[in-house]
Amino acid sequence: MSKTPRTPRSRTPSRVGTPIRITGGTSGSPSRLIPPVPRLHSAPSVSSLRVHSAGYNSTIQTPISTSPPNSSIHGDSSSSSAVNVNQTEGILIQEPEVEVEATSGEDGTAGAHIENTALDDVARRQLRDHLRRTLTDTDASVAESGVRPSRHRAKSIEGDEVHIHADSYPPRQYFVLTDAGKPVFVSRQEVEESEAFTSMMGLMQALISVFLDDGDKIRCINAGKNRISFLLRPPLYYACVSAWGEPESVTRFHLEYLHLQIISVVSAEQLRRMFERRGNFDLRRLLSGAERFMHSLLARLEFDLAMSTSSLSCLRIDPNLRKAVADVLVPTSKIKDVLYMILLAQGRVITLVRPKKHSIHPSDIHILVNTIHAPSIVNSSASASWLPICLPKFNSSAFVNAYVTFMRHGQASVDDTAPMSPTVSASVQGESEETVVAQDGSVETEGSEPSSTSERPPTPHHAPEFGLVCVSGQADFEAVRSWCTSVTEKLEREGLLKAMTDAMHKGKTTYTVSDLSIPGLRHFVYKSRPHVQVTMPEYDEPYNDNNEKRRLITLYQILHDNIHAKSGQESTLKLQYIRTEHESVMGWITQPFELYLALSPLIPKSAAINAANAIARWVSKEEKRLFLRDAPVF
Amino acid sequence: MADAASGSQDRSVQVKLVLLGEAAVGKSSVVLRFVSNEFQANKEPTIGAAFLTQKCRLEDRVLRYEIWDTAGQERFHSLAPMYYRNAQAAVVVYDITKASSLEKAKTWVKELQRQANPNIVIALAGNKIDLVQPSSTSSSSDSVDAEDEADDATATPGENGETGENLRQVPRDEAEAYAQEAGLLFFETSAKTGEGIVEIFTEIAKKIPIEQILASSRGGTRPGAAGARTAGQEGGVNLEQNAAKDKEGCNC
Repeated sequence: MSKTPRTPRSRTPSRVGTPIRITGGTSGSPSRLIPPVPRLHSAPSVSSLRVHSAGYNSTIQTPISTSPPNSSIHGDSSSSSAVNVNQTEGILIQEPEVEVEATSGEDGTAGAHIENTALDDVARRQLRDHLRRTLTDTDASVAESGVRPSRHRAKSIEGDEVHIHADSYPPRQYFVLTDAGKPVFVSRQEVEESEAFTSMMGLMQALISVFLDDGDKIRCINAGKNRISFLLRPPLYYACVSAWGEPESVTRFHLEYLHLQIISVVSAEQLRRMFERRGNFDLRRLLSGAERFMHSLLARLEFDLAMSTSSLSCLRIDPNLRKAVADVLVPTSKIKDVLYMILLAQGRVITLVRPKKHSIHPSDIHILVNTIHAPSIVNSSASASWLPICLPKFNSSAFVNAYVTFMRHGQASVDDTAPMSPTVSASVQGESEETVVAQDGSVETEGSEPSSTSERPPTPHHAPEFGLVCVSGQADFEAVRSWCTSVTEKLEREGLLKAMTDAMHKGKTTYTVSDLSIPGLRHFVYKSRPHVQVTMPEYDEPYNDNNEKRRLITLYQILHDNIHAKSGQESTLKLQYIRTEHESVMGWITQPFELYLALSPLIPKSAAINAANAIARWVSKEEKRLFLRDAPVF
Repeated sequence: MADAASGSQDRSVQVKLVLLGEAAVGKSSVVLRFVSNEFQANKEPTIGAAFLTQKCRLEDRVLRYEIWDTAGQERFHSLAPMYYRNAQAAVVVYDITKASSLEKAKTWVKELQRQANPNIVIALAGNKIDLVQPSSTSSSSDSVDAEDEADDATATPGENGETGENLRQVPRDEAEAYAQEAGLLFFETSAKTGEGIVEIFTEIAKKIPIEQILASSRGGTRPGAAGARTAGQEGGVNLEQNAAKDKEGCNC
């Protein structure tokens, strides 16, 4: 029972039993996905491949079966077909729920890297056959890999099972490599230092190439509890190993975000040009110093439900206050080329103003927010930072400049002179309460901030500091700086910073499920589809424990995946209810919203429906405070 | 509040200064020491560029340094002109334990001399001398100098003699000779101990053509109110005090 929750779910068994599911990328344009032939040279030899794949895993067993080309792609179309949201000129752009199969990025550059030193067909076929034999050969695959926890050696588990083990969330591992097999990023340092690392990279590259050879794209390998998912964004390949039992779409979504983060640093255009010039370019050199962004991004992705629902999470605040703040942020006519002005607190958007013609993509905001919360910026004693950043959804081939300044109430007005006073950081320390700094930095430690300045987690969500970001197209820093200085002064002068700080200190910017007083309700996530925003209560008992939270989020992700049919399900769902021994969860999608809720497992299903209705009523009553509904444009 | 702050700026001379140099040589640490008199081990790499200000008093003048601390990573190189374009001063930092960082510093100097403001004052700073000093317990500068002179003589017999001078890859003489030849101010510094940091900014301040800046920016700055109340007493580093090792001495 513990492994197989009673799940009255309507999944089709056809997706179930194939441990290795490869779904066709053939609907794209196979001709442009010609296998990158010469790279096979750099792959490990055939014999070594066998060894490493053995080390890779213990439970791959059935022959590789390629499912019909169209069976599991384009989840995005299905999600949008479920409900047609009317969105005209919204603040945020509704992103396709599944971005992972957007073909453009993937195909665009593949052709560029094909060189002429062709390995002859025979050798290629041999390699392919051999690889398949090896992967199929269960006997040869008992050896344990040094990097993978051995306790996961288990009997093959049917793909459809929901593995929910409250105690086993080994950190996911992420890999980024070039299509020439060169490492770009590894999420765990010790992996990079291990001996198997180079061959692991070689193996991944070879695996991917073998399928590309067939005009196909490998999506994932299910191996016991581990699932290895892949994302191909030539010239980069991405892979994730996870044993959490989340849907494939989730880890691929993480990989897509990783890709966006890399683009934000180097821009897609620069990336393309560099690899066009030199296929074996070592991207690590160019990314040096940016690894931090990727680590913090991955930490965010683990718990941030706004990211996983492709939406934004705004700070809950009085609508009049929000409006007043937004009015201050609207650029005067003197300052040119401002793209967005964003005010943040507690890691969430308070408000943002934008030009009339540009809505903003939630994922661009997430990338931006993640970037500016890098310790070297948020912890800096500098009064401001100025960084070039590529906002991939806005324009993936160009950089914009972000002016970033962090401030506190009582300090902002002295913007010019503050940094020279060393008491600034001293007072930061003085105010902070003793807190346990969560290892991942995402634990909700309310109203307090990490006590050590040098060891801050990447996302100090609860430092009562405001971040002002001005994204501008021009490089005239001085103009932007004086404009932003005037903004912060005005926010202070008009008492807006104080009002917001008070609201935060009084806990008005957050709420708990008990505020809703719905019996049995433990947690929920409500996404307003027209606003492209989510709201959710603080994590409460039992979900203040990280592993409990991971279990809950994984369940939400399963619901989300099924409702939107993101992993190749035959159709989308309107509603799904899952009961496990720990809790029951329900996902429900309607025209105006998407709702995920968790209840005590003892609560009957009918009560879950009532709870969902009650949440919807509560949210619509609170809507003005919960969501950023209208912000001025310019 | 805002008025008080702006009032203090009236008589200050703004000096734009840019820090350049290879990644991880300690540019941000040098600035942090100067601006906040702090040191953080394992600092994260700077992203893009950070903007800081610090006021200094030199004789009867108040200088307001507007400092651009740039990122050293290769991918940010092309942005550098934006920062040094209008700079009156530049500090090019290298790491004395890394020979290649001096080479990078030299290319920065060349670029500055070719493309920056022709009157720009350039200082070359060899950072991380704490790594080649015997032990931080003896802070007397005499022994430090002796150490530098000794260069590749017998390794310091002190507690960490093994790691002492051996780490040094750029001899002081060599860098100093280069600096002289290229017409740069030269310092060896330690952001960790604070040694030599304030001196950089003091010497730059002395070399900056202050009157010229005042003359050129007179139109822009507001005419000073009663000059008696300069912010220097409260907000700036007193450059005359740089000999004082007192931690609190030179900040705010």
